[in-house]
Amino acid sequence: MEKLTKEQIDKALKVLKMPADSKLVTHLNACVHCGLCATSCMYFIALQNDKYIPARKVELVASLYRRYCTLTGKIVPKLVNARELDEQMAEEMIDILFGACTMCGRCVKHCSIGVDIAYVVRVGRQMLAAMDLVPATLQATVDAALTTGNNMAIPTEEFVDTIQWMEEELMDEMDDKNARIPLDEKDKHFLYTLNPREPKFFPLSISAMAKIFYAAKESWTLSSKMYDVTNYGLFSGNNEHAAVIAQHLYDEVKRLNANTLVLGECGHGSRATRWEGPNYLGMEYDFDVITVVELINDYIRSGRIKLDKSLIKERVTMHDPCHLSRNGGLESELRFALNNSVSDFVEMTPHGFDNFCCGGGGGQLAMSEYNDRRIKIGEIKAEQIRKTGASIVVTPCHNCIDQLTQINHTYKLNVKIKSIAEIVADALVIEK
Amino acid sequence: MYWYHWTTILALSICLSVLFWHFIRLIRLGKPKDYSRKSGSVTEGIVYSSTKAMVDHKESAYLHIPTYFAGMVYHIGTFVSLFLYVFFLLNILIQIALPQWLVWIIAAGLLVSSFCGFSLFMKRLLLKSMRSLSNLDDYLSNLLVSLFQLFTLLNLLYSSSIEPVYYIIASLMLLYMTVGKLKHVVYFFAARYHLGFFYGWRNVWPPHKTK
Repeated sequence: MEKLTKEQIDKALKVLKMPADSKLVTHLNACVHCGLCATSCMYFIALQNDKYIPARKVELVASLYRRYCTLTGKIVPKLVNARELDEQMAEEMIDILFGACTMCGRCVKHCSIGVDIAYVVRVGRQMLAAMDLVPATLQATVDAALTTGNNMAIPTEEFVDTIQWMEEELMDEMDDKNARIPLDEKDKHFLYTLNPREPKFFPLSISAMAKIFYAAKESWTLSSKMYDVTNYGLFSGNNEHAAVIAQHLYDEVKRLNANTLVLGECGHGSRATRWEGPNYLGMEYDFDVITVVELINDYIRSGRIKLDKSLIKERVTMHDPCHLSRNGGLESELRFALNNSVSDFVEMTPHGFDNFCCGGGGGQLAMSEYNDRRIKIGEIKAEQIRKTGASIVVTPCHNCIDQLTQINHTYKLNVKIKSIAEIVADALVIEK
Repeated sequence: MYWYHWTTILALSICLSVLFWHFIRLIRLGKPKDYSRKSGSVTEGIVYSSTKAMVDHKESAYLHIPTYFAGMVYHIGTFVSLFLYVFFLLNILIQIALPQWLVWIIAAGLLVSSFCGFSLFMKRLLLKSMRSLSNLDDYLSNLLVSLFQLFTLLNLLYSSSIEPVYYIIASLMLLYMTVGKLKHVVYFFAARYHLGFFYGWRNVWPPHKTK
């Protein structure tokens, strides 16, 4: 690593020295190093290395805080392990905060004090972002979203072609020329968003959701340019980039004059847009924002769609995306959708708020340099799935689907991985 | 009053002033400003965070029963010792005698709690994973509080002979509280508040609440 400049260090320390509220100061002062968080972290469990203990992740940031922001740390740094921000420290931070944490927040619940460890990790990433030290692979994903409007840099023509192809498939399946996937239509009730992995790798999930919209006779549209629900600024730690990406969707809702922004099946994207987006932009949204799971549940509750559970006879289990369940409050909603769609639903152990991350969160899927670790920690999820005896794993997150697909292959689980829209569409009864 | 009484009163004043400063700083920094649309109840989240969430299916508790138990007893012992410290100070001015049976119960409790404290110290010292996590502050904090509990017990039983040493140890602990991790006595509650705020806002805590 090149020598850090004073300007880089000053920018990083500014993150610590100018807290917006009492949250940062609280969490940097609260850890007592009891070490009881270790067994709640999948990196520690799977890799059995002390450096992955969540408290040590907190300590990386807290030791800098003590060195530069406390009198004790300045006078007797050795007493409180107050460390200098130098190249060695920065390298350690990159390896641990980017490469060994999915920011899933499981350790937060189990921390004996209540330190928001995932939040502190995000602050550490913010410091690295301020020094331009975000791993190039992750930064490339952010840059793609900033310059093209979607994190996979899918050209508009290619996206439109895919949507038109899916629309033709839908028309054939429904035997109805009015079964459409609207693009860029103004004044619709819903603007629906996607994870770019859908048009790129899983286009059938788009037609599955279109089928649900068709059955519910919904007024909706997709955007041909700003449809990306993801926001990797959440993971890179760069709030300015995160704000630009959040602004893309905000502006698109306004341009198309939609009433409600519907967040496609993406855990972190839902979090980044619904919970963090308004904070990145520093304003309340003047339109509704809901996840597609809540929307589907509204259709089920109101009778706008009808499902036949008996159509899916295989055993089904659910993987809770961390940013929808633990960090998004949708644990019960996810189960409502599934319980109404399948006849044999079995939970993983643990599940819901306590569920293990799949291993693909925190930007890990984008950072290929940490692939080996990511696949290794995925073994925990693989064992959870195996123990359920399920042949279908449902998860409303396309990043999770990608990671689950890889661990399905690596650990030979022989399961099918589906999104919520796909499983609901499979159970859908179309009344003509 | 002797010199060690004045010393400890000075230490107590410094300790309380610094902890109060930490508390005021948190208040002045304020709670997070969240522009997202609230989905749950922050108040209910904070109440849950400060009560059931600390025991409800918590791995740091049920996967580590001996450590968790030792930690609980240790903390109870600390609060009892602090209460007795104030009691001893008041006793300089107003003579109040505790019933003998109560003295023996407290003494037995403090013996157990200080043993728990020293056990946690040994665990930190002997386990590689704990050593990798610990700094000098962790050892000193643990040792000072355990000694404080032990000498509270001794002062309770043998006041006249042990009193100067007891007050010196108490003073050291109180002064150290202002610089080391013992100030988590303030930040623990703030952490529970922020956790409750975060999960309450998003309708995660209290659990199983559907709209």
